Amino acid sequence: MSDEIDFDEILGKYHSDPYEYVDIYASHTGVIKFLVEEGSSIDAVSGEWKHIPGTALFEITRENNPKKVTALTNGVVSSICNELEGCFVEAGEKLLTIRHPLKKKEIIESILKEVLHIFPAPERAKYFFSLDVQSRIDKKGAREVSVKPGDEIIIMSLMKRDTPVYYSGEKGVIHSVYFKPGVSVDQGAPLIGICPTEKLPLIKKIITKVKADWDQQE
Amino acid sequence: MVPNILMGNLTLLSPSVLDDYVTTVELPRLKNEGLSHNATLFRYGACLGSVIRVYPSLERAMDRAREHIRLREESQKSVANGTLILASTLTLSKGRFSRSWHAPPGGLWGCLIFADTLLPQFRNFLPLIPGIACCEALRQNGASDASIRWVNDVLVEGKKLAGFLIEGYCSPVHKEQYHLLGFGINLNNDRFPPELENSAISLAQVLGTEVDMMSFALSFFAKLRYYTGQLFYEEERWLARGGLREYTCEHPVLKRWKALSDTPGQRVIFGYDVMENPQYEAVVSGVSNDCGLVLLHADGTESVEHSGEIRYCS
Repeated sequence: MSDEIDFDEILGKYHSDPYEYVDIYASHTGVIKFLVEEGSSIDAVSGEWKHIPGTALFEITRENNPKKVTALTNGVVSSICNELEGCFVEAGEKLLTIRHPLKKKEIIESILKEVLHIFPAPERAKYFFSLDVQSRIDKKGAREVSVKPGDEIIIMSLMKRDTPVYYSGEKGVIHSVYFKPGVSVDQGAPLIGICPTEKLPLIKKIITKVKADWDQQE
Repeated sequence: MVPNILMGNLTLLSPSVLDDYVTTVELPRLKNEGLSHNATLFRYGACLGSVIRVYPSLERAMDRAREHIRLREESQKSVANGTLILASTLTLSKGRFSRSWHAPPGGLWGCLIFADTLLPQFRNFLPLIPGIACCEALRQNGASDASIRWVNDVLVEGKKLAGFLIEGYCSPVHKEQYHLLGFGINLNNDRFPPELENSAISLAQVLGTEVDMMSFALSFFAKLRYYTGQLFYEEERWLARGGLREYTCEHPVLKRWKALSDTPGQRVIFGYDVMENPQYEAVVSGVSNDCGLVLLHADGTESVEHSGEIRYCS
């Protein structure tokens, strides 16, 4: 993480293009049938338990087993690979892109993800802090809890199988927590953002600057 | 030699006794049921019970398992995959979320040490196995209405007779990953603390007579060996077919689980920690091929949960 951050450059980037471009890929092999077109408005998954599906994006059929894939994020379809309509695709092939409008909070999080050390989820599962880390968070707050490589910080829970997750990365304090107990996290999605103690003032500066700048714009 | 089934003393349990039981009792029984590949599946799961340690009393079997791994590694010895640790009583046992688990003499309490050698696509099936093995052993020993509640609680007459949990463990010296499978099965223990009286039951209470613990233990461990073997066998067959990115067909272990579970069709309360924080009520419309619980909500939408707990709505 660099000490020097060009605020004007970062903020300028978000002012000129306040969107996140979310690429959607084929989850497995199969034949594709698109259910949206370029410019279609997309609703995100919703509901108290995220149980109401978002807009159906495409149908992928393998071995006569069609599966509709729905959107997790809202926005507009900014590009779509129409040439793949009716074709057999491999797992991981890019199918379309959703342009998702960013809110102020998302912009801050987005910038922070660029400057913090992000510790990702090893598997799609539910996560909670280990008893020791949770008790320290309860007492002092996450940003007072420091972690170092090798620490057992999180428990991954999947099918009643609880597996300790050991931290690897820079030593620092837990600045951001991206998971909620009881809510599934996808493999590779961020779990926590770690900040070396000496860099905390810089992070605070970023947040203050973005908030002030964005409020001024609004 | 088949052990004297009237001997309820678990200290007589040994790997060779378990081997004999598999050969002389389980294999002929499965053959009579017309199931194929039985001997092969037992061979694939043969590591289970390759070492058996029985203690009169332990604080927690899981802690003893961790200590066992540490001591073996520190003395430059390997840890036998499938090591079973049993105790007549556990003085500080606990369930998930630090819930208390009552483990007096009379129950089958212990921990299985299982090296994490399964591919990620097959790990989800591991927690199903103790529930299946226990449910089958209970039915075979007289509790004909034993059933499994997702993921692996075993209920009889609507009360919990057995519970299982799996904790991961990274060994301190060689950093090898293990699954520690804790098990607690109420057999002859027929008194429960007031907070468990309405929700727990023992096999002796169901049958109205004392249970031969050795006989039950052999039956349970033999079935654990069989289904563990099925997990390894199916993984190998899948790899031989080319090992696609995902395992999408219905695993034989899941198929057997479905035959023994009464969860599909139930109206349930779901929660990550359902006792402390029940989240919502829904109807179980099925179980996905990756073992997720498919829940139908009142508004007609469905969600799939891979982690958490349920309680049946009465």
